[in-house]
Amino acid sequence: MKFSTSTFTMFLAVATLGSVRTAAADVKIDSYIFGGIEARAIGPATMGGRISSMDVVRTDRLTIYVGAASGGIWKSVNGGTTFKSIFDDYNQSIGALTVDRSNTDVVWVGTGEPWTRNSISVGDGVYKTTDGGENWEHLGLENSEHVSKIVIDPTDGETVYVCVTGHLWDSNEERGVFKTTDGGKSWKKILYVDEDTGCGDLAMDPQEPDILYAGMWQFRRWPHFFKSGGPGSGLHKTTDGGKTWRRITQGLPEGELGRIAIAVAPSRPSVVYATVESEKTGLYRSNDLGETWRWVGSTGAVEGRPFYFSLLLVDPTDFNRVYKPGGSTSVSNDGGQTFSGLGGGTHADHHAFWIDPDNPDFLLVGTDGGLYSSYDRGVHWNFLQALPISQFYQVSFDMEDPYNVYGGLQDNGTWMGPSQTPSGVQNKHWDNIGFGDGFHAHVDRQDSDIVYVEWQGGRILRMRKSTGEAKDIKPLPEEGDPEYRFNWNTPIHLSPNRTDTLYVGGQFLFRSRDRGESWEKISPDVTTDDPAKQRQIESGGLTPDNSTAENHCTIYTISESPLSENVIWVGTDDGNLQVTRDGGQTWENVVDRVPDLPACTWVTQVEASRHQQGTAYVTFDGHRTGDMKPHVYKTADYGATWTSLVTDKIEGYCLSVCEDLVSPDLLFLGTEFGLYISIDGGVQWARFKEKLPKVGVRAMAIHPREHDLIIATHGRGIYIIDDITPLRHLTPEVIESDAALLPTRPSRMRIPANVQEFPGNDEFVGGNPPPGAQIVYYLKKRHLFGDLKVEVYDEQDRLVSRLPGARRRGLNRVNWFMREKPPKVPPAASLVPQMYSMLGPLVPEGTYKVKLIKGGKTYEGNIEAVMDPRADYTHGGRALQDKTVMQLYRMVERLTYTVDALLDVKKQGEDRAGKLDEGSDVHASLKSFVGELEAFRKTLVATRKGGFLAGEEQLREKVVGLYGAVNGYEGAPTDSQVRYANVLEGRLEQAEARLDTWLSSLGVLNAKLEAAGAQPIKRMSKEDWEEKQRGK
Amino acid sequence: MLPRSIVLIVVCVAFCWPVAAGADEPKTADEVIAKYIEAIGGRAKLDSVKSLRMTGKATGMGGMEVPLAVEFKRPKKVRVEFTVQGMTGVQAFDGTTGWFIMPFMGKNDPEKMPPDMVEAIEDQGNFEGPLVDYKKKGHKVELVGKEDFEGSEVYKLKVTKKNGNVEYHFLDAEYYIPLQMKGKRSFQGTEVEMTTIFGDYKEVDGLLLAHSIKQGGMAGDMTFEKIELDVKLSDDRFTMPEVKKDEPASTDKAKPGPDDAKDAKAPEKDEG
Repeated sequence: MKFSTSTFTMFLAVATLGSVRTAAADVKIDSYIFGGIEARAIGPATMGGRISSMDVVRTDRLTIYVGAASGGIWKSVNGGTTFKSIFDDYNQSIGALTVDRSNTDVVWVGTGEPWTRNSISVGDGVYKTTDGGENWEHLGLENSEHVSKIVIDPTDGETVYVCVTGHLWDSNEERGVFKTTDGGKSWKKILYVDEDTGCGDLAMDPQEPDILYAGMWQFRRWPHFFKSGGPGSGLHKTTDGGKTWRRITQGLPEGELGRIAIAVAPSRPSVVYATVESEKTGLYRSNDLGETWRWVGSTGAVEGRPFYFSLLLVDPTDFNRVYKPGGSTSVSNDGGQTFSGLGGGTHADHHAFWIDPDNPDFLLVGTDGGLYSSYDRGVHWNFLQALPISQFYQVSFDMEDPYNVYGGLQDNGTWMGPSQTPSGVQNKHWDNIGFGDGFHAHVDRQDSDIVYVEWQGGRILRMRKSTGEAKDIKPLPEEGDPEYRFNWNTPIHLSPNRTDTLYVGGQFLFRSRDRGESWEKISPDVTTDDPAKQRQIESGGLTPDNSTAENHCTIYTISESPLSENVIWVGTDDGNLQVTRDGGQTWENVVDRVPDLPACTWVTQVEASRHQQGTAYVTFDGHRTGDMKPHVYKTADYGATWTSLVTDKIEGYCLSVCEDLVSPDLLFLGTEFGLYISIDGGVQWARFKEKLPKVGVRAMAIHPREHDLIIATHGRGIYIIDDITPLRHLTPEVIESDAALLPTRPSRMRIPANVQEFPGNDEFVGGNPPPGAQIVYYLKKRHLFGDLKVEVYDEQDRLVSRLPGARRRGLNRVNWFMREKPPKVPPAASLVPQMYSMLGPLVPEGTYKVKLIKGGKTYEGNIEAVMDPRADYTHGGRALQDKTVMQLYRMVERLTYTVDALLDVKKQGEDRAGKLDEGSDVHASLKSFVGELEAFRKTLVATRKGGFLAGEEQLREKVVGLYGAVNGYEGAPTDSQVRYANVLEGRLEQAEARLDTWLSSLGVLNAKLEAAGAQPIKRMSKEDWEEKQRGK
Repeated sequence: MLPRSIVLIVVCVAFCWPVAAGADEPKTADEVIAKYIEAIGGRAKLDSVKSLRMTGKATGMGGMEVPLAVEFKRPKKVRVEFTVQGMTGVQAFDGTTGWFIMPFMGKNDPEKMPPDMVEAIEDQGNFEGPLVDYKKKGHKVELVGKEDFEGSEVYKLKVTKKNGNVEYHFLDAEYYIPLQMKGKRSFQGTEVEMTTIFGDYKEVDGLLLAHSIKQGGMAGDMTFEKIELDVKLSDDRFTMPEVKKDEPASTDKAKPGPDDAKDAKAPEKDEG
């Protein structure tokens, strides 16, 4: 066996890439060209993401639908033990979700979450399923963007009311209360105030479905400011199913109102509660069907952040027990006069809440950190850990093996987790390394124990992973400096050229060469420094809200050119794009040269090219001013001129862009609605759909050793596309060809690690990379007729493996386990309980030829098999393992032949005996012959009933067991194993000799048989046996 | 070691004919099925097939290869055999009783299948699939529409089985070949999803048959090297053997019977 490390450099020869793109525009690119290349989710679900809505069907097993703020819809049919995502192809921001009680297979969904924080996504209307989430139908209201609630008439499932909150970032008319009476075919806007006021909450009387209460809400967000409240806000009531409405004021606070939440007491519907944001925010109660109101009480959960927490519930059986979810959930048992908090243990920020109508002690709560259940009225909580809906802002990696992924999340701090483990990426594998809201996290290039993390508003910390200590290293103003401003999501950037250099962006660009001990200001204020956009202290409207989420006029993205430490780009949240070519001495704002871009459009990412020094890619995101269009540009001359890379295939405003490490033509684009890939430098784009939902892609990174694309989604956690090497070679020529094998990274023969655990099913487990080597090929059309085979040959042109092919259009990925065929094992009483006895030996390291045989044609390529670099095997040890495992492999097959030959002869004896006179001499001879054979067989293979627990070990069990043991470790076998192999080989030889002797003396028996007119017994030759094995 | 789920290697055989569809696009499920049956090469050919044997292998984790044989005999008999470490497991259905032998853990006696498994294997006994004669079989079929399946245009048929189970069949819009089947089965009252992908269609004595069947889970990828029509299969291959009390465990009861089938070219006469 060869043991080579030089093979690592294989397939990196890419000199020819990039010179062949002339035909690009003529070759149509669509999502299917990526074929069977899939993304894999690694979670985490150890902390959820924000849950915005929920509904439950109380059946014999609880059916739970969870609507995530930006992670789609999840369904559990077993009370929350397992969940399945059922909305991956649609908008992932769920505002309202309601099951039709009259037909529980019908579920209505309003997309666009109603909890209007800075980082929220946008919806695209209302959907309905009539089969429990298998199929969905879009029912319009596509311009609504945010939906707070859907209420279904309990007496008529076709009559449905939708509380449309409407646009957050601009005015629009598609908002207010909408009604359908034909199951969503047509809609009527039945309550509308103005283009700045939407529906904040809607409640129906449980006994009189024509009585409804609507909380109308005037609100608006700007990139730098939020305002809740205005003359449009108010409480409205209808008693005729929405034909007419009255605004209710009696007993409610005077002056401008903000967001209103409403709850009707199920056990006494004349009692109605409302939280009303106002000068006198509090809980209001009506005892007369909402006609007159009085202030009854208040608490922090009632007053805090009404734009974020506007949910109110009344216990199903006790009309005086009121729940107010908020930062935490408060509950009142006296009709709202006094409140107490529920038990701790849940994540903060409660947005969705369910009380079991049959058992009000059983509660579910959806929070910023996932879903919890309580069996004791909220005193204690279980965390439901199967929802991978974490909302990442950023992502990075380290160079451990396997590498770890790092990133910060909305309201869930900063985490690191492995890209793979022997048992999949589980919740327990993730480690928390930062608190608050997390964003950038980067491992120091000189000391991998150090990681830079942050929390909101630029609080930069230098963490030591091994001890957990954290040092605050935020840049602070010098004498004469203005106050420093930092974005909610402050950029931290590591120099790609110098391992000692770190950047942080405020309104100035800061550089440190001593791990943040000191900072050098290397730019002037690169923002617009517009005072009108620096009013975050006044933000919030009726309820002040300055969480740093509205910090503005700050740097949002930084990129030092990998080709020169003097070329640095920064992009700001107020729309400046600046570049220096002298390490920060002079800066040029080049945004004015970007064509067709609205002024002041937020720069979401600037990425300096690795391939050409003047080249950079920039994404802009205008959604915070109502511009939902994609904006992605490229410059090749330091920003002097720009080309838009936008095509009509891109959906959603742009959040991130990533240029491949190897091919300048391979680009990745993240939008609010998924991942897009271009293989021709941005001329054409196609959405990457395989296992990656339509979720916001906030950041990406490519691992330089594994060539994996790591994807940070805001709502579905981290995804990895393993080995993008084939994408680098997906040229127009390949796409035009009928079929082609594509290069892959060197295929590592990963050290097998065995884990024993019994974790149940209640946890999300992220996938590992596909096992073995990946054989990747492109098919222009789906292969339908005739064989499609994949064959692997070694350097001597020996066929090693024949694999079932994949046959879809586009790229196909076939696993090759890099093992020989397993040996043939003799039949016996049970399996040999040794995993590696079922598998063939690992092939030697080296280059393998791959043939794709399709129809009459053969296509060829190579696979480079390399040993796991973590292995500490010696050359001699590998050689001895190879020798010993092959010795045992041959012994297993020799024994199988021996047993098969014995069984064959024995069967012939039994057949002959069956046809002969029982009293005859020849019959007696046959019986005795068969009996002796059987007695001998019992020494060769275990025959006792009872499986492994019978504990019987004959020659088969010993040989196969030793084969498995030696096969399970790729380094030198133990001396004991080597010697025992020889001992067993001696016993095998004896057994073979015994059978030989025996069968060579068949002549006497055969003479008797022939005399009796029966066929003689014939021994199966080794050649015949081998022929038979080949046929199998 | 070998979970029982591998027993449920569910094999759905699809019959088709590689003729591209004409300009007249089917508008209803019945028209799609008519095209599909027409493409089979005629009802007569399909009806003439009384039995069938498929021989191949399943490829699983680590490159494990499991030799596999599947036999069908009308009206609805089925027998599946697979071999691991020289030991052969069987699952079979004789039209009434489902049974299996799992010799891998030292127990070689046939056992009756639980009703969940019987339902699954009974489904497979009907080897032309549920679309042919669906009304007679008590199923409902609905044309959901045309959609993309992995980049191919397909007709999506929703089949509501007599027992209430729902399956979706995806037929290539050009050749009317089934590309995928997605269904749900009830296991202990909970629905379990299963997906089957068909490929490598080849002609066998006038019928076009899928020679590659991919399923999620333990069964993995199944490749059939040989498919034979109208093999002679005696009824007792499908009937549950009696348990003999004193037989040693290793007597290979599961092995296929005498190799009597290959010479029988003529269709059997005894099945109607």
